[in-house]
Amino acid sequence: MRQKRSEIYSVELSGTKDIVRTDQGDDKEKYRGLKNNCLERKKKNQEEDFQKELQLDDHKLNNRELEKKYGTNIIMGLSSTRAAELLARDGPNSLTPPKQTPEIVKFLKQMVGGFSILLWVGAFLCWIAYGIQYSSDKSASLNNVYLGSVLVLVVILTGVFAYYQEAKSTNIMSSFNKMIPQQALVIRDSEKKTIPAEQLVVGDIVEVKGGDQIPADIRVLSSQGCRVDNSSLTGESEPQPRSSEFTHENPLETKNICFYSTTCLEGTVTGMVINTGDRTIIGHIASLASGVGNEKTPIAIEIEHFVHIVAGVAVSIGILFFIIAVSMKYRVLDSLIFLIGIIVANVPEGLLGTVTVTLSLTAKRMAKKNCLVKNLEAVETLGSTSIICSDKTGTLTQNRMTVAHLWFDNQIFVADTSEDHSNQVFDQSSSTWASLSKIITLCNRAEFKPGQENVPIMKKAVIGDASETALLKFSEVILGDVMEIRKRNRKVVEIPFNSTNKFQLSIHETDDPHDKRFLMVMKGAPERILEKCSTIMINGEEHPLDKSTAKTFHTAYMELGGLGERVLGFCHLYLPADEFPETYSFDIDAMNFPTSNLCFVGLLSMIDPPRSTVPDAVTKCRSAGIKVIMVTGDHPITAKAIAKSVGIISANSETVEDIAHRLNIPVEQVNQRDAKAAIVTGMELKDMSLEQLDEILANYQEIVFARTSPQQKLIIVEGCQRQDAVVAVTGDGVNDSPALKKADIGIAMGIAGSDAAKNAADMVLLDDNFASIVTGVEEGRLIFDNLKKTIAYTLTKNIAELCPFLIYIIAGLPLPIGTITILFIDLGTDIIPSIALAYEKAESDIMNRKPRHKKKDRLVNKPLAVYSYLHIGLMQALGAFLVYFTVYAQEGFLPHTLINLRVEWENDNVNDLEDHYGQEWTRYQREYLEWTGYTAFFVGILVQQIADLIIRKTRRNSIFQQGLFRNKVIWVGIASQIIIGLILSYGLGSVTALNFTMLRAQYWFVAVPHAILIWVYDEVRKLFIRLYPGSWWDKNMYY
Amino acid sequence: MGAHPQPHLKQQLERRQPVWISLYYVAFYVVMTGLFALCLYVLMQTVDPYTPDYQDQLQSPGVTLRPDVYGEKGLEIVYNVSDNRTWADLTHILHTFLAGYSPAAQEDSINCTSDQYFFQERFLAPNHTKFSCKFTADMLQNCSGLADPDFGFEEGKPCFIIKINRIVKFLPSNGSAPRVDCAFLDQPQELGQPLQVAYYPPNGTFSLHYFPYYGKKAQPHYSNPLVAAKLLNIPRNAQVAIVCKVMAEHVTFDNPHDPYEGKVEFKLKIEK
Repeated sequence: MRQKRSEIYSVELSGTKDIVRTDQGDDKEKYRGLKNNCLERKKKNQEEDFQKELQLDDHKLNNRELEKKYGTNIIMGLSSTRAAELLARDGPNSLTPPKQTPEIVKFLKQMVGGFSILLWVGAFLCWIAYGIQYSSDKSASLNNVYLGSVLVLVVILTGVFAYYQEAKSTNIMSSFNKMIPQQALVIRDSEKKTIPAEQLVVGDIVEVKGGDQIPADIRVLSSQGCRVDNSSLTGESEPQPRSSEFTHENPLETKNICFYSTTCLEGTVTGMVINTGDRTIIGHIASLASGVGNEKTPIAIEIEHFVHIVAGVAVSIGILFFIIAVSMKYRVLDSLIFLIGIIVANVPEGLLGTVTVTLSLTAKRMAKKNCLVKNLEAVETLGSTSIICSDKTGTLTQNRMTVAHLWFDNQIFVADTSEDHSNQVFDQSSSTWASLSKIITLCNRAEFKPGQENVPIMKKAVIGDASETALLKFSEVILGDVMEIRKRNRKVVEIPFNSTNKFQLSIHETDDPHDKRFLMVMKGAPERILEKCSTIMINGEEHPLDKSTAKTFHTAYMELGGLGERVLGFCHLYLPADEFPETYSFDIDAMNFPTSNLCFVGLLSMIDPPRSTVPDAVTKCRSAGIKVIMVTGDHPITAKAIAKSVGIISANSETVEDIAHRLNIPVEQVNQRDAKAAIVTGMELKDMSLEQLDEILANYQEIVFARTSPQQKLIIVEGCQRQDAVVAVTGDGVNDSPALKKADIGIAMGIAGSDAAKNAADMVLLDDNFASIVTGVEEGRLIFDNLKKTIAYTLTKNIAELCPFLIYIIAGLPLPIGTITILFIDLGTDIIPSIALAYEKAESDIMNRKPRHKKKDRLVNKPLAVYSYLHIGLMQALGAFLVYFTVYAQEGFLPHTLINLRVEWENDNVNDLEDHYGQEWTRYQREYLEWTGYTAFFVGILVQQIADLIIRKTRRNSIFQQGLFRNKVIWVGIASQIIIGLILSYGLGSVTALNFTMLRAQYWFVAVPHAILIWVYDEVRKLFIRLYPGSWWDKNMYY
Repeated sequence: MGAHPQPHLKQQLERRQPVWISLYYVAFYVVMTGLFALCLYVLMQTVDPYTPDYQDQLQSPGVTLRPDVYGEKGLEIVYNVSDNRTWADLTHILHTFLAGYSPAAQEDSINCTSDQYFFQERFLAPNHTKFSCKFTADMLQNCSGLADPDFGFEEGKPCFIIKINRIVKFLPSNGSAPRVDCAFLDQPQELGQPLQVAYYPPNGTFSLHYFPYYGKKAQPHYSNPLVAAKLLNIPRNAQVAIVCKVMAEHVTFDNPHDPYEGKVEFKLKIEK
């Protein structure tokens, strides 16, 4: 048994006073709308935007004015001819689909991103170099042409791969877009006709009944018990009643307007079409979203930064050696070729593909966990996210009303609000509960749709409004077959709920055959129900309702109301059998039965409850240093209650209002710094300057924005981005779509989400589970760390590949490694290992550290580049040179004989070049030896890259802490390296074009001591980093 | 990262960082250079001073030609009989080349007469070396440049000197001396007759006593044996391609990749 004793929260009502200043009489401006505002946002004072949100005044007009304005007749409707004219003028009543980027553009875009640029430049430089060589020597080697072509091929293949990956997720997306053509019942030429909703025009009179979608923005003319679901537009979970009365200045709040694409849940409504297609509210929001530019993803920024570093290194080494070459009396043209060669040698050919594959592997892993990533780069974005702006309805909550609390026998009981209601632990032994459950069951018109015997109760479709549905399911779960109970207690008569009575009543026969009395059951607004009661049931016995019991009732009512819950009161009365015999005929119009002096049984409160996984997920986000902000269109009280229950506002933090309430002082006197949490309404936000907003975002840890409009969501996201935060926005409604697009990463709900939201998002949670975001954060952080490792791994051998060329220029050694051989490393042996690093597990709990700082924690930082280039890269180069020298020495060219041998060595006309032993070599014999040297150097790098791969598994921990064999893919990578190496040397050694030769087995082991040295060196580095955190060693050696 | 108890100490440490890291780099590179030097030293120690460890890439000796004048593709010799300036360079090359074969230059070598391989297991020559056999220019007789300093260029019957590359411990054949054989590469139809060559030494053989070669350190005075080929019937004003092959059991001349292995091809055009 759980009893809930929570404090009573202060009730904030400012949200309902929210008024949008409308721009009356300015018809020209009227539809210029949100999109323009958005585009001009940068130039114009943002203050103005707040006030121009919505210009609509039809809700204030009376029927006659409406008829005049739209040239229509409420009874007869438009004439067909007039309708046709209007249709021609305004176009069909449908949203212009978001501009689809042509597939070819998408495809080409994949080939011009940060990395690809580097490769393109490399390719063109290669061709230029060949051009220069060709112009001076017609028989110039074609190596540069091959290299250039390979670079282009890499770009194209990677582009195709990335395009294919993204197209695949887009296809999954488009399977959601099942658009059912809509029909509308319209009055035209005095006749009711059913026409496709697309053909509606302004001035049409339409009828909509429960279950239908509202076909356009309509001004309600008459309604019978109509309630609409506005949650996708405003974020309110509760059905909103609709009638013809003008109730609010704000068109979004007033009761007499129904919005396009919302659903009429029950009742019927007749209304006049006032806006169609893109000019509807939803159309404006959709265009607002399309006007928002996509932000560059953090990983794209990082890759650009990396490209700058690589380009910087390449160009500076290139120019340095150009100067050296020129001063060494090389011809300027040759020096230029060297310059280009050096620059191109710095291009990491394999990295583009590796990064793309790595990202798509993670995307695949995330898709398995129901995170569908639309944009590959977004995979990492979640990892660097520092603020999550979450919508409430449907994201944090289940978006269905559920019984949350009960009050009877003077006690508040907590009901299980989890997704399956399976765990109802409140005390059901009291006979008060027996009575209450009977009322809940009987005084309810909702029914399950037939043919759902095998569907779990919570998933069954129900005919009836949200709260009746909640009650039906609640009682079905606890009591079993509700329909059977209702059958046993035959309904004699009923009065349905209406807004004037504010109660619902029905009279039933009892299921006790000996009890001939009728049971009258009633539910409704608690204060109205209490008015009708004279007694109250406690522990199954009726007690007179005195002042003290009334007070406990009020306390409970206030408490439940303060939780943001909708409270219903329940009472009953057994009609005396002598006055009301079995044959008595009840008349609901004459009300020939008592409706006072009833017996009050209990209260029941309902809320759209948080998803059960959310609180845990929020806690995890918190511990991962991510601020979770709630941004909702719903009322502040509800928002706050949900925020409290999911932990967005933690249990012990208070808002300024809470403090004021506790200390009983005016809000103004409260020290702002004492409050950890803040609740800001759209109304307050409207009066705020950007500085004030920034201040709120910076100063409060826990923030809830309530009653916000789509634009305000956008402004909040921008505010967060101004704090240098990487912002994730989650949402499902159309109203979220602009913010989803503006965010660094927009996350839409897959099941509940609207198409607009899914279109604008970068990621879709297929199971609508907020907790998947935590998985996403984890994967994103892991991929960032692992990309660091991959890049470090790849950069290392770059130096080992570049050094030979530099030595060749300066010391005149025969070229130690050729272009084609380098390509076989970069695009051959090293590919699988560098992808294998993506499978590496996190070194420490990545969910317990702060998100990376966008501008400080770079993907490729100085220590990474320096350590890769100048430490490991250099050691690797030395090791590979040793293999090279060994091969040459054992064939007769000792190291000292090689120096400055280059010119003679490469001279085709010298066919008796002497080695150390006096042997004479023809050009081809030398060339073959040179290829053996290439193969030796290749093997040297390969062997040391194995060590490099192993050391890159961790950045701080010892390899032995991380586990040498935990990541099996690493070993697949190592095996692939060796196998490819063996195939190249022994299988293709006879293909002269590839420049590989069969290498003696022992040369594979020459570099092994170097490989071991690399491993030991890196272990020592990590040891000192762990031993002396913060020292100069740590700062310079930790990447 | 870790917090230091005293802030000024931390600042001090930070200020000293560049010094530490520079010192570290100096030390690191000194050590790495030392290690590499050590590796090379060890490598040099393991290498045999007399014989290379592997000779797999020198299966068969290369053959070269003097005078060696190269055109676009390979050896190409063009001269005009009546213009001595066009062949002065060519004969000059030969004279320079044969300077190494003067009796003075060969004086440290011994006279050999045997027709067998000159195997030397031990270092019997002075300074712990092995003996080398003399090869003097006069052995080339008509093509020695002594009797005819123009090497027959003037008369249109030029001498070409063919040299076989040295390979340590290489034995060209199983007993018969290797012999040079020159011919037109594609027998020109219009000539109708094969190339006529006069070889010096007679038969165009490399005497077996010049083999095996024991390497520079063991035989510091070794000179490659030579064969001169005097081409007798070169047509005038037409370019002919000639190939000179070394005929011996262990000398191959059919390597498709290496045009200089066991043979030498050249183009010759004698103008009038």
